Amino acid sequence: MDEEILQDFLVEATELLDQLNEQLVDLENSPDDSNLLNTIFRGFHTVKGGAGFLGVEPLVQVCHRAENVFDKIRNQDIVYDADVADVILRAFDQVTRIVSELNDGVREFDPMDPGLLGELDAIFKGESSPDSSDELIEFSPPASDVEVALQLPDGVDPDGEISDDEFEALLNQRDMLLGEVDHQPIEPKLELPIGVDPDGEISDDEFEALLNQRDMLLGEMDSLNSEPEAIVKPAAPPAPKPAPKKVTAEADKPAAAPAANANKAAGESTVRVDTKHLDAIMNLVGELVLVRNRLLTLRSAEASLEDIANAVGNLDHVTTDLQASVMKTRMQPVKKVFGRFPRVVRDLARKLGKEIELELVGEETDLDKGLVEALADPLVHLVRNSVDHGVEMPDVRADQGKPKVGRIVLAAEQEGDHILLSITDDGKGMDPDMLRRKAVEKGMMDEATANQLDDKQAFMLIMHAGFSTAEKVSDLSGRGVGMDVVKNMITKLNGSIDIDSAVGEGTRIRIRVPLTLAILPTLMVSFGRDSYAIPLTSVQEIFDFDPDKTNTIDGQTMVRLRKKSLPLFFLSDWLTPGEYKDNRKGDKIVIVSIGNQRVGLVVDQVNGQEEVVIKPLGVMLQKIQGFAGATITGNGSIALIVDLPGLIERFQ
Amino acid sequence: MMSSLPASRGDDLDENGYSSATVRCVLFELDTEVYGINVKKIREVLRVGQIRKVPGCSSQVIGVINVRGVIVTVVDARRIYNLSPKTVDDDSRIVIIEVDDERSVGLMVDKVVEVRDIPESCVDLMADNRHGRSAYIQGVAHYQDNVIVLVDADVMFASSI
Repeated sequence: MDEEILQDFLVEATELLDQLNEQLVDLENSPDDSNLLNTIFRGFHTVKGGAGFLGVEPLVQVCHRAENVFDKIRNQDIVYDADVADVILRAFDQVTRIVSELNDGVREFDPMDPGLLGELDAIFKGESSPDSSDELIEFSPPASDVEVALQLPDGVDPDGEISDDEFEALLNQRDMLLGEVDHQPIEPKLELPIGVDPDGEISDDEFEALLNQRDMLLGEMDSLNSEPEAIVKPAAPPAPKPAPKKVTAEADKPAAAPAANANKAAGESTVRVDTKHLDAIMNLVGELVLVRNRLLTLRSAEASLEDIANAVGNLDHVTTDLQASVMKTRMQPVKKVFGRFPRVVRDLARKLGKEIELELVGEETDLDKGLVEALADPLVHLVRNSVDHGVEMPDVRADQGKPKVGRIVLAAEQEGDHILLSITDDGKGMDPDMLRRKAVEKGMMDEATANQLDDKQAFMLIMHAGFSTAEKVSDLSGRGVGMDVVKNMITKLNGSIDIDSAVGEGTRIRIRVPLTLAILPTLMVSFGRDSYAIPLTSVQEIFDFDPDKTNTIDGQTMVRLRKKSLPLFFLSDWLTPGEYKDNRKGDKIVIVSIGNQRVGLVVDQVNGQEEVVIKPLGVMLQKIQGFAGATITGNGSIALIVDLPGLIERFQ
Repeated sequence: MMSSLPASRGDDLDENGYSSATVRCVLFELDTEVYGINVKKIREVLRVGQIRKVPGCSSQVIGVINVRGVIVTVVDARRIYNLSPKTVDDDSRIVIIEVDDERSVGLMVDKVVEVRDIPESCVDLMADNRHGRSAYIQGVAHYQDNVIVLVDADVMFASSI
């Protein structure tokens, strides 16, 4: 396989599949949109073309059949209803799987699951039953005396010029007709192994061998662009019906194995950048070189302080601009994450028997590539929650006088240097009293404390580990990530979560995350010569340490701040163990908020704000709790970046 | 087992006067013993500069250093081989070892001696069941009256990535 062409194909296919994922769900909502249909048809066609060129046979088989089905839909022979959509989406999943396996370095593929191919063919032939096992075997060949006649679409002058599209349509018609006629004379026979009585009982192994033979023949026939199913019927021996299912199950296994061994491409390793951006960067780099030259000449000559100040000022401007421009190349539209949701919502709603409409707002909002990837999982979880727990069943909704179709709005917008994401549903909402009761039942807090929580704090209870509001746990929710994991992931991104809900009206969850992950505004603090960076987004205020304002309650030192007592953590206990300090005069308290909790950190010295570039801590230090990474400060020394959630855990 | 020891062709003649496959190693000292690490694993050798301590890390880790904008962990070779600690002096060096394409780690040693080609025929590989103190040792080479302990850098850091 030509690797270079393959890579090109993968880039193109990945983009196409991203679009198809969304378009396929859109199509279900508006099955009559002929533009959409054509786009989808072309999508499968393009993937098939590339796959055929590269010789990825299973991919060709699936795409070819999907294309056939869409051709029928285009000609309005079949309606794209939910059942057809299920099969098509499964076929699409197979296509996605193969493409991602290609991406992971898998180069050999097992033949495609014949069951799925059969179902596609069944739809293509207009047999509505998606149950395929019989189709493969009991198939009557089409009459051989079909009249071969190509038809021009209505309103086209047969003598006039023909457009490319029209020509293509004619070609397609011809291919289909040829397909039906052509295979008649070719009657490849499946052969039983020597020594097997054709009239006797057939063993599973023998049957599988026959199936394999057939698959191979199918493959060959496909490349001839003819219709394969007819081959099977004339020669295939009577076969036990349940067998195809067994083949399905086995075909899945070996496919998974090589994928695990192959080199996993970590996320997407390439980004597409507008050349305009690149030109801007190049221009700035040119400026940078000029500034360097300026500084070099200043070094040799007798430079006045003012000249140097000018040059350094210039350097400051250029690097700031350059930083912003380079950042821009990492930006990707949030569509990348949102694109998968129509499908997630559709599948889930269908499984639960709910009717849900998903609206996406602000898809074009740009955010950092790393963030796009990091946000995907938490968002999927929140959206699933909305579908599963938020929106009610259609009849319940009708009883309450709501429209039967539930509505979920997924929105993104930029707010200064933050991105605001929100998931809003018009479902049953959450009852803060119920949450308070639940918290008491679970022993998370006593009744008095629970009653003191305001509604917002009560909603935040669902973010605690082990706090499940669902009366029963379905297989849809609570798989993999829980709400506490969502919260942790968002906190890790230096973001925050906020929940609003009204019983009977719905729930809105809002997530705020910084635009970029790479650069972090921090507060620099230090202990002796060692400096540490605290993410500035969490810092609320800084004041002097005053022993008169602290109390020790149940072994925990607390500080009084505007009639509230907040826990105090003496960072020196952790960062400079063994050094006892009895005079804390001059120490500072930094109040930070983590989620819905506020604590005071006692530090020796506060050095001010600094924007830092986050660098991962090296080998053997990844698992240390309390540090998010390290950075190199202005004077070239290393400062450790404090991970506040980890730090809190450490002190509790 | 031989295949796990990447060999490079050198011009050295072995004891019988025949040229044979050799392993090119960077030799360093800990106390009086000589250790060797395959050069292919080593990116550079640095003088000891400022090392930033990381509170709460394992006792084998001295801290982190800044190698041209990349944060690299420095591990004390003496601790790994259960030797008593020693203060950093003029001879101390940090050997930067490449763990994989992206990660590297610094190994603090007493002194870096030289780079030498060791004939494979001189190397006695350790048995497979290396437990306890013999961990991280690939084999022992008896070469020109020296005993050189060959360090298995892959194993040393594989578990800790």
